[in-house]
Amino acid sequence: MISLNKRRTFLKVGFFSSAIVFTNGCDILGVEKLSDTIKVVQNDLFPKAKELHINISKYMNIIFQHSRVDETDKEFIKNGIKWLNEEAVKMFEVPYTKLSKSKRQEVLEGIAKYRWGENWIDNMMRYIFEAMLGDPLYSGNNEEAGWKWLGFKGGNPRPKELYL
Amino acid sequence: MKYDICIVGSGAGGSPIAYELSNAGYSVVVLEKGKNYTEKEFSKDELGVSRRDMFTPPLKEQKHIINEYSQSGEFTRYDGAESGWNFWNGSMVGGSSNLMSGYFHRMKPRDFKLRSSYGKIRGANVVDWAINYEELEPYYEKVERVVGVSGSVVKHKFAEPRSTKSFPYPALQTNGVTKWFDKACLELGFVSIPTPRAVLSQSANKRDACYYSNFCGSYGCASGAKGSARAALLQQCSAEVITDAFVYKLDSKDSKVTGAHYYDENLRSHTISASIFVLSAQAIESSRLLLNSKNKEFPNGLANSSGEVGKNLIFSAGGSGSGRFVFDKLTQTQQTELMQTGLFFNRSLQDWYDYDDGCRKYKGGTIDFLFEHQNIISRVNKELYDEDGNIMWGDKLAKKIEKSLKTSRVLTFEVFNDWLPTDNCNVSVDDKQTDKYGVPVGVINLSSHPHDLEVGEYLAKKAVEVLEEMGAVEIDYSISASPPPNLVAGGCRFGNDATNSVLDKNCKAHDLDNLYVSDASFMPTGGSVPYTWTIYANSFRVADIIKGRLSK
Repeated sequence: MISLNKRRTFLKVGFFSSAIVFTNGCDILGVEKLSDTIKVVQNDLFPKAKELHINISKYMNIIFQHSRVDETDKEFIKNGIKWLNEEAVKMFEVPYTKLSKSKRQEVLEGIAKYRWGENWIDNMMRYIFEAMLGDPLYSGNNEEAGWKWLGFKGGNPRPKELYL
Repeated sequence: MKYDICIVGSGAGGSPIAYELSNAGYSVVVLEKGKNYTEKEFSKDELGVSRRDMFTPPLKEQKHIINEYSQSGEFTRYDGAESGWNFWNGSMVGGSSNLMSGYFHRMKPRDFKLRSSYGKIRGANVVDWAINYEELEPYYEKVERVVGVSGSVVKHKFAEPRSTKSFPYPALQTNGVTKWFDKACLELGFVSIPTPRAVLSQSANKRDACYYSNFCGSYGCASGAKGSARAALLQQCSAEVITDAFVYKLDSKDSKVTGAHYYDENLRSHTISASIFVLSAQAIESSRLLLNSKNKEFPNGLANSSGEVGKNLIFSAGGSGSGRFVFDKLTQTQQTELMQTGLFFNRSLQDWYDYDDGCRKYKGGTIDFLFEHQNIISRVNKELYDEDGNIMWGDKLAKKIEKSLKTSRVLTFEVFNDWLPTDNCNVSVDDKQTDKYGVPVGVINLSSHPHDLEVGEYLAKKAVEVLEEMGAVEIDYSISASPPPNLVAGGCRFGNDATNSVLDKNCKAHDLDNLYVSDASFMPTGGSVPYTWTIYANSFRVADIIKGRLSK
């Protein structure tokens, strides 16, 4: 039972560090680690978070393991990364993370015109805000930096354990 | 063991009976589907409470099927697990009363006589209540003392008669902006009413006073000041509460309920015997349990010889709106007042509880004003799109968020008016879909009457006048036919005629000698106020009836 649990945990963590294969429909265009692209794109979407030392990656690990986040939502994050990379290759012939900052913004502007792209950016922004502005216990909101940014004090009592 | 009383559901509908009967020395057991939380366990964790719905069941395990009817009678079917649409409000000891804001208004005498006061409305099944205001008044007063209601009485055209001069607890402290509101109302000739709250302003009844946490609605109260059924009643009595107990069937024989079957968290079945059974699982679930408890004697569902179980489900009609106060238009003192957090807004208007548009008399309603919820993640999420509806990101978005949250604040309002009962608004059970217990899920058929929208619009426009007078910008409102899941009633109407009602005037099933339904299911119409005070009051009334019966 214990080993099964360990294996399960490994699989769940594995989701975040898993490889994303993107294609043009016929040929494989590249392989990227999910977590690498997420890190870059989240910083592109909200640089303020990095400035405040918000640990979004650690928070995203919680989301990928959360019992109350639907599998379809988790899949959508992953698919979005795949489609984002496909768009990057379509526009500039290299994966998203290999592009310059300004070109990455062009790709984001490109996908925002698609319905999936707008939804995906919307989702990513909401996770970024959860990481920044949730209770620091959830490991994103480093020393309440997100709250301090907006002059927010947090409600009392504060949670003592994570709700997962 | 055979209990004197078995109560299904531990919320506002069942707990007054548990409290009264156990204090009178009877053996009482309460079966609650959810878990128990104490004050110590209630934190202000926005991620857990508001983003991940920790107090309601996962929809893949427990869901509803929802059929949304259009005015032409066609409907669209939604599977709750796929659409995310749900009507759960708080599966826990004390139910959703733990999570309410506790805006407490009594129903008014005219609410008990909607049919005879305002006449027939085509397409609506409006009837008068089986009791009148005078019969419920002593229990409204009892709730003020026992559950705890704070406020100050203000004279106005539609003020309901009171047997006591004032509230037992003084009004809670309010934010400075309420002065702007009061002034605006004075200018407009409206009567500003301090909203009574089921929140203790002083420590009493072994509960601590409100500590102005800034996070009241949607959250459990960490001081016990909020008058939840748990803090005010169940924690103050000796009734036995069994948690993780999902009641899936009631048995009956010879017009008597003989047992309540429940599954525990390991899906093991147990049975409770009692002399009297009280059903209070919240309106939708109470009807569902009766319909799922059909037997030889009641082939269409327990207590359903009339065919009325599940019918005439009602919500609160109306909607909400808001206006923003921006620093640019305010003095420095006003800016400070505006940003003061923790204190309540607590203002209501009832000037149009009844109004005439020149053609006919309308039953109107209540408008409650309150600051936008302090949840920081949800406030920031609202900034995600620009004025043209395009999604934003990056530094531009960061600046927008900063400006909005640090130099302005939103005042919101909620309109409450009658949701007229109609044929297509009801509860049934699905013949294929089951929940994690293997029990047929509830089907919620939703339909609203156009009259509700007309009244809601009228009231919202009055609220807008106040916001304009106060100097708010970005004023907006939405009156809609979508039902608020936390304001639900009906399904087991009470009445004097057993052929067209489920319960008698005592809330006892016409068909059964020992079954009472004491949540909001009994209400044939809901009044133009939130329901909780009335649910509590009626449950105390039913408690007296049961006590009288047992003492014989």
